[in-house]
Amino acid sequence: MVSKNCVAMILAGGQGSRLGALTKNVAKPAVPFGGKYRIIDFPLSNCVHSGIDTVGVLTQYRPLELNTYIGNGNPWDLDRSHGGAFVLPPYQSGETGEWYKGTANAIYQNIGFLEGFNPKNVLILSGDHIYKMQYSEMLKAHNRSDAAVTIAVMPVPWEEAPRFGIMNCDESGEIVEFEEKPAKPKSNLASMGIYIFKYDILKKYLTDDERDPKSENDFGKNIIPKLLADGQKLMSYRFEGYWKDVGTVQSLWEANMDLIDDPPKFDLSDRNWIIYSRNYALQPHFVGGDAEIKRSTVAEGCVINGKVEHSIISSGVKIGKGAIVKDAVIMPGAVIGDGAVVDKSVIGAQAVVGANAKIGVSPESDGNPYASKYCTHGIVLIEGGAVVGEGEDILKGSMVVAAE
Amino acid sequence: MRNDTMGIILTGDEKIAPLTDIRANSALPIAGRYRIIDFVLSNMANAGIVNVGIATESNYSSLMDHTKSGKPWDLDRKNQGLNILPPNLEKQQYGSIKGNIDLLEGIRDYIDRSQQTYVILSLGNMIYNIDFDAVIKSHIESQADVTTIYKDLSDKSEDIIKRYTLLELDDDGRVTDIEVQPYYPKSSKASMEIYILEKALLESIIDECSARGDVDLVKDALVKKMDGMIIKGYEFKGSVYKIDSMKSYYATSMNFLDEEHRNELFNAERPIYTKEKDQSPTKYGADAICNNSFISDGCVIEGTVVNSILSRGVKVAKGAVVQNSIIMQDSVIEENVELNHVVFDKEVCITKGRKLIGQESYPLAISKGTRI
Repeated sequence: MVSKNCVAMILAGGQGSRLGALTKNVAKPAVPFGGKYRIIDFPLSNCVHSGIDTVGVLTQYRPLELNTYIGNGNPWDLDRSHGGAFVLPPYQSGETGEWYKGTANAIYQNIGFLEGFNPKNVLILSGDHIYKMQYSEMLKAHNRSDAAVTIAVMPVPWEEAPRFGIMNCDESGEIVEFEEKPAKPKSNLASMGIYIFKYDILKKYLTDDERDPKSENDFGKNIIPKLLADGQKLMSYRFEGYWKDVGTVQSLWEANMDLIDDPPKFDLSDRNWIIYSRNYALQPHFVGGDAEIKRSTVAEGCVINGKVEHSIISSGVKIGKGAIVKDAVIMPGAVIGDGAVVDKSVIGAQAVVGANAKIGVSPESDGNPYASKYCTHGIVLIEGGAVVGEGEDILKGSMVVAAE
Repeated sequence: MRNDTMGIILTGDEKIAPLTDIRANSALPIAGRYRIIDFVLSNMANAGIVNVGIATESNYSSLMDHTKSGKPWDLDRKNQGLNILPPNLEKQQYGSIKGNIDLLEGIRDYIDRSQQTYVILSLGNMIYNIDFDAVIKSHIESQADVTTIYKDLSDKSEDIIKRYTLLELDDDGRVTDIEVQPYYPKSSKASMEIYILEKALLESIIDECSARGDVDLVKDALVKKMDGMIIKGYEFKGSVYKIDSMKSYYATSMNFLDEEHRNELFNAERPIYTKEKDQSPTKYGADAICNNSFISDGCVIEGTVVNSILSRGVKVAKGAVVQNSIIMQDSVIEENVELNHVVFDKEVCITKGRKLIGQESYPLAISKGTRI
């Protein structure tokens, strides 16, 4: 058997409930992003660029679309004879079978998978962040410091620090204290949920944690505090660069908008760090004689006949004559009818906006039947596959779900 | 899956300078992100054919780079799949290939090894989207020796018609005469240069022709054997474009700006596949103007693009105006450049303020990597 230096495990089982209707039918890592990608393309592509060729993807919530999307891993060059991409759902064993109880339990249930590769280190990632990161540099630092665990951290604005898991470190970068969402943070270095464990340590702590009936089986809540309490060496690895948790409708919308700034806050066009994705044989996009497109990105397969301003237009979208789309994220295959106006909205995949409909144009008002707690900052969310009728007026801050 | 039929694609030898100086003409980029061969290859894959051999006279590397293992067409198989068949240099020297029989003779071992009963053989350099499965079924049912697909061009001018191999058919659809690019066309039924026949028959034709020094499958074998063999014509009602000159290349490309034409060639039932490059979506700047154009992924458009076709990764800077043009992959059009009726091969760079104007009847073609 060829032993692997590092195997990656991507935690992709979460629902991402704050994304509202976007994750009603798919897990958060499968949510479309940036015109032709899905969120999970980012950690997968990062793995490949970092020389990691064995990746387990742990799925649980609504796994069908994610499983199909990952397939044999070929779009990311992860169809390998030894290693590659593996979708790892929870399974039944013996008398019992159980769901993944927490992040730590999810990895624990797949120790059998890890054993097969006899890895020296295990990289644990979450499947719901947008960033580009050279994990091999972090692995080098991890090996150099001989730490039990290395945790990627990044500075966040002080006022936002109470929303994160905060790492308090000494000058050498060694983690001395970990505080989950502290009211009065002592540091602004937030955990990015990216861990490199020495495999033997990971295995021991996961096994011990599993025996503890009081544990929530969570890395942040249980494993990391236990390692610190035992005096193990935990190092921080500082990341400076674009990193975004797209956990809410607003942050997902914002991260999309970041792509079309000039210059972009986050650049997808770097040919040295290609973000790979599964592609669906679509022809180039066609821009009609009356179309106007400014400060936007348009993917293949689209037909644009209206006006597009500061928006992300994903693969296979149709925008009708006289339609106006502004500050919007239009997800794959959606149709915007003739004369419709879409403003500051997220339109889900395959959704249909009828002719002359108005989305996110009229101000919020009491008694709006579509008002939703998920749609803050006046953003409108139309669920994938939903149909907005001709001439309908959908107020700011609305969420429209698809008919069952 | 059509386990009973293998595909053979021989790429034509029409030269379209300067675009074919560096590549087999079937590897010519078209419609932004495609190569000409993608159409016939996707049609074969969509018919469920799992064994396809490609042979060409020269310029293999562009073709091999494009097809790689055949993955985009799902032709990366443990068994069979896509086979790029280089010439056998021990038997054939460059320039010794005088016709398609020589190419077929060169891949005789591969044909022999293949397990299928039937062969669908493509000799031409054309684009179309056709259901080959239906054609193969029709061939088997008709019990003809050979079936060839044709397109009736009676609505086209004589100048267009005489570029094709023309068929005359009797009332039963049997081919009674074949003329290759005749000066005075008698028929308007243009062969699409697709032939379906039993593999054993093809093998005996190759052997007989090469024993006699004959070089052309159509002129030397089919024309001469027409009385003894039943050759049936299968009419295709869709659009067919033969690409054999810069003029036809330009005109065919510009047809992609027509919606009906696009919808016919790119339909969800029979997708056209090509090599994937994972480019990010195309970006439009604050001053971009883009109309009536067909744009691939990975472009950055900050200037004006009208009536044009852009391949992947083309940059059009502020103040530049591109009209009626075909710009291939990774070309860079700098600020205030003016282009009209040009065809740029890959990686052409036009520096600030230059002006290049061709004519519709004679587009200005610039070869790969040129910097002006």
